[in-house]
Amino acid sequence: MFKKYFLTPILMIMVLGLVACGNDGDESSGSGTGKVSEDVVELTFWDENAGPQRTPIWEELIERFEAENPDISIEYVGLPNSSSKSKLDTAIAANNTPDIGSVQTSWLPEFSARDALLPLDDYFADSELSGLINEGAIEFNKEIVADSKLYGIPYTQNLDVIWIRSDWFEEASLDAPETWDDFFHAVEAMTDSERYGYTIRGGAGGSIQLQRLMFAYTGFEQYFDEDGNAVVGDPANVEFLERYFDLYKAYTPESDITNDYKEMIAGFDTGVVAMVHHNIGSFGEHNKAFEPHQFEAIPLPKTEDGRYVAEGGNTINVAIFNSTEHPDEAWRFVEFINSAESQSYWNEQVGQIPTNSEVLEMEWIQDAPHIETAFEVYDDPNTILYQPPFYLPDYRSILDNIVDPGIQAVMSGEKTIEEFLTEWATAMEESEAKYKEVFNE
Amino acid sequence: MGDTAKKSKPFKYDKWIPYLFILPSTLIIVAFLFYPIGTVFYYSFQNYDISAPFYNSFAGFDNFIKIFTEDEQFFPSLWTSVKWVVSQVGLQLIFGLIFALLLNQTFKLRGLVRAIAFIPWAISGVLASVMWALLYNEHMGVFNDLLMKLGIIDEPKAFLASTSSAFISVVIAELWRGIPFFAITLLASLQSIPGELYEAAAGDGANKLRQFFHITLPHLKNTIVLTTLLRTVWEFNNVDLIFNLTGGGPAQSTTTLTMYIANLAVYGSDFGYGSALTVISFGLLFIFAVLYLKLSRFERE
Amino acid sequence: MLNVKKRSNKILFFYLPLTLMLTWTIFPIYWTINTALKSEGDIMKRPLEYFPSAPTIENFVMAWNNVGFATFFKNSLVVGISTVLVVIVLSILSGYALSRYQFKGKRSFLLMLLSTQFIPRAMLIIPLFIIFKNLGLISHPLSLIITYTAVEIPFTTILMSGFISNIPKELEEAAAVDGCTKLQAIRYVLLPLALPGIVATGVFTFIYTWNEFLLALMLTNEQTRFTLPVGLSFMMGEFNVNYGALAAGSVIALVPAVILFAYAQKHLVSGMGGAVKG
Repeated sequence: MFKKYFLTPILMIMVLGLVACGNDGDESSGSGTGKVSEDVVELTFWDENAGPQRTPIWEELIERFEAENPDISIEYVGLPNSSSKSKLDTAIAANNTPDIGSVQTSWLPEFSARDALLPLDDYFADSELSGLINEGAIEFNKEIVADSKLYGIPYTQNLDVIWIRSDWFEEASLDAPETWDDFFHAVEAMTDSERYGYTIRGGAGGSIQLQRLMFAYTGFEQYFDEDGNAVVGDPANVEFLERYFDLYKAYTPESDITNDYKEMIAGFDTGVVAMVHHNIGSFGEHNKAFEPHQFEAIPLPKTEDGRYVAEGGNTINVAIFNSTEHPDEAWRFVEFINSAESQSYWNEQVGQIPTNSEVLEMEWIQDAPHIETAFEVYDDPNTILYQPPFYLPDYRSILDNIVDPGIQAVMSGEKTIEEFLTEWATAMEESEAKYKEVFNE
Repeated sequence: MGDTAKKSKPFKYDKWIPYLFILPSTLIIVAFLFYPIGTVFYYSFQNYDISAPFYNSFAGFDNFIKIFTEDEQFFPSLWTSVKWVVSQVGLQLIFGLIFALLLNQTFKLRGLVRAIAFIPWAISGVLASVMWALLYNEHMGVFNDLLMKLGIIDEPKAFLASTSSAFISVVIAELWRGIPFFAITLLASLQSIPGELYEAAAGDGANKLRQFFHITLPHLKNTIVLTTLLRTVWEFNNVDLIFNLTGGGPAQSTTTLTMYIANLAVYGSDFGYGSALTVISFGLLFIFAVLYLKLSRFERE
Repeated sequence: MLNVKKRSNKILFFYLPLTLMLTWTIFPIYWTINTALKSEGDIMKRPLEYFPSAPTIENFVMAWNNVGFATFFKNSLVVGISTVLVVIVLSILSGYALSRYQFKGKRSFLLMLLSTQFIPRAMLIIPLFIIFKNLGLISHPLSLIITYTAVEIPFTTILMSGFISNIPKELEEAAAVDGCTKLQAIRYVLLPLALPGIVATGVFTFIYTWNEFLLALMLTNEQTRFTLPVGLSFMMGEFNVNYGALAAGSVIALVPAVILFAYAQKHLVSGMGGAVKG
């Protein structure tokens, strides 16, 4: 009975609906390709962080590009953030890469060493972009790869900040923290029976954020010292981490230990915590949850001697893959994405910093306080950008497989901070030694 | 099964028919599973890191030696795998049997109830983790809310976040998804027990419990052996929920051997070493399967 | 007296566990639907709402429209249904061979089936990708259909051989006496009786293909060819927190599976015994 009178109609409606949808889709795509004439160059573009937020931005930009360049058609492929690296790894291993891709800076050394990317130096030198794109970021991209070539043009820049609930700080008549002592004091002062002062990222991605905090605190400028020791093992970091992890449970939620991005940001946006360390890219989420006066971004605190220390290479690039048969057309897309207009559109939507200097004068930039905060750091002549060893093939794997679980071991009391840091430093040092052995011979 | 008596041979070329029939399946499996599995065995003897081609070379038994002598994660993750498999298969079997016995009764709306009871089986690991992450959440999770209303806890607990509760929390979530498989197969098997057996037993004065142990269980034996074996292999290699709920943490308390391999080879890039670990887990499962079938005297009465 | 005891026994040993079972099964699903029907603000609101005070379908609209969910849904159906058909045919053949014949190499064949399950699939991605690249099938639904078939066949073959071996052999032999060929005997005598087994095979296979994520992502390089699980994963990345849309997407993904179960459950469990009796 149930089936006959209820399910059958539903199923039929569904099937009919699908057939209808299917036809619609086919027709539109059919007419789309129908317009395209024979000599249109087709290029594939892979987006490394696709989703409801960013995919529409790319689709809009591609539409604009195709309108301007009727001889080129771009096929967009969005990859889910957490799997995009392994997808690209597989594509490179199988020699089946796209023409163009959005590539994180930390991937450049590896991808170039695997011969997957096209050097862009000549294109860039002849382009009107040269001189417009943030020079530091361009130089950084060259420095980190083995052959000092330029493999990606950065179209957006990010910076780690601490998001705070300005309204609560005001209620408590507390200033936004500038030094680390201020920070630890604020975490305690903001905690009461209803809320926590801070939240720690203990889950996936926690290692990267922790590393940035450690450098901001200790002020080291190099990842390895002259003797090849990783500075993460330095006693200054022990001191910092003791203070930092003492916050756990006392002033932060217990679930912090498995916090990844979603839980951490949800904690802040639901009014459970007063401060959270992330980057300016999460502006959009906070903006949905709060009124402008309720929240703001502040830089990571300064070192004892008053310097900002931030991690270099916090950019994302458009890169051309070696396998492309149309490098010239691909470069036109790279140029287009990095034009003032496109960069402005992309970064305004996402809430990050453009690298094209022409965009920096635009109004929306001047009006966005969180971007102002980022400039405060990047424009400060005393700011140090340290360079993580992106060239080590297992750099990321050490962070994911040794440091991430290590953080949780410390938070759950299974490891001491000294043990944790020694393990981390040793892994990096061994990898560095192995790398040097191969490349100095 | 097992009737070797072939008195009549009504069909021609009978001898070749079975080979002809298994040919398509065999071809597909050999081409698309065995060949890739072969490469895994090959790479286990190589230094093969897809992100560092400059290190690639022949490794001999180095990877295996490293696993047994240097690797601090191997034995703990293997132990977690054992705990994971034993608790999953054991609990799924027990509750699956209870579900099957309940669903085998006659009652109103039985079809609907059965369909509902089987639904979790149709839900992917990713979806199930979305659901359970919502339930377990410390700030907006309903479990905390309920337990606090009932006065069992005073403040919200982070179930997935403490080394003492994370493992059991993931086990419960996977259990939810795993029970229906046993319920279905056992129910199917229950229905094939001839009712006369019970009538005869009741006539002899055997109570329900005796009937269960003397008729039901022996009859279910083959189904139980086969399903537990398959389930053991599947759960051993299943990381969906662990990956999405805890990522193997906190502090590796939920890192099974397969989870470790996935982190290393798939989300890392060290395929050589990951392959060696895979070969070892292949060997362990193989030995287990052979012993299990032997010891359980499968398909022997 | 006796009657009261019997009744309370029935409540204690039947209705109580049955209620517990249903609650345990339904609650997580209910909660997901509940979340999907709330607006973003209400999801985070405390005290928790056990029933949405202001139900909205905005999350469903958002999930369906975002990033081509409708296309993914269609792709999943195409891949799922095709795989089911292939798997059914192949596993009837191999299941029949296993249950009706004693032949040399049968044990090796069984061992081969079993050993395919011993390796985490994630380890097979790169070689599979290279195979399909050489075949020119990357992004083509066939690459997924073939891989899924290879992955599912071992289990469904065993399943099918179990069903078939419970169907009396004499029926086919009688058909042969009546002049049927082997394939005719299978088609007209065996298949109708093996229907529950076929349904179960189909359901097993469909559910796997409907939910598989990793291979679907890795073997596809075209946005319009992705399947539903890949589409869902877009809602879970860094810079995307929308519990409501994620829950709504999950509910949408659930619908076909639920309908399938409602339809198939009778055959699914009427099982081996039922087929013989009928």
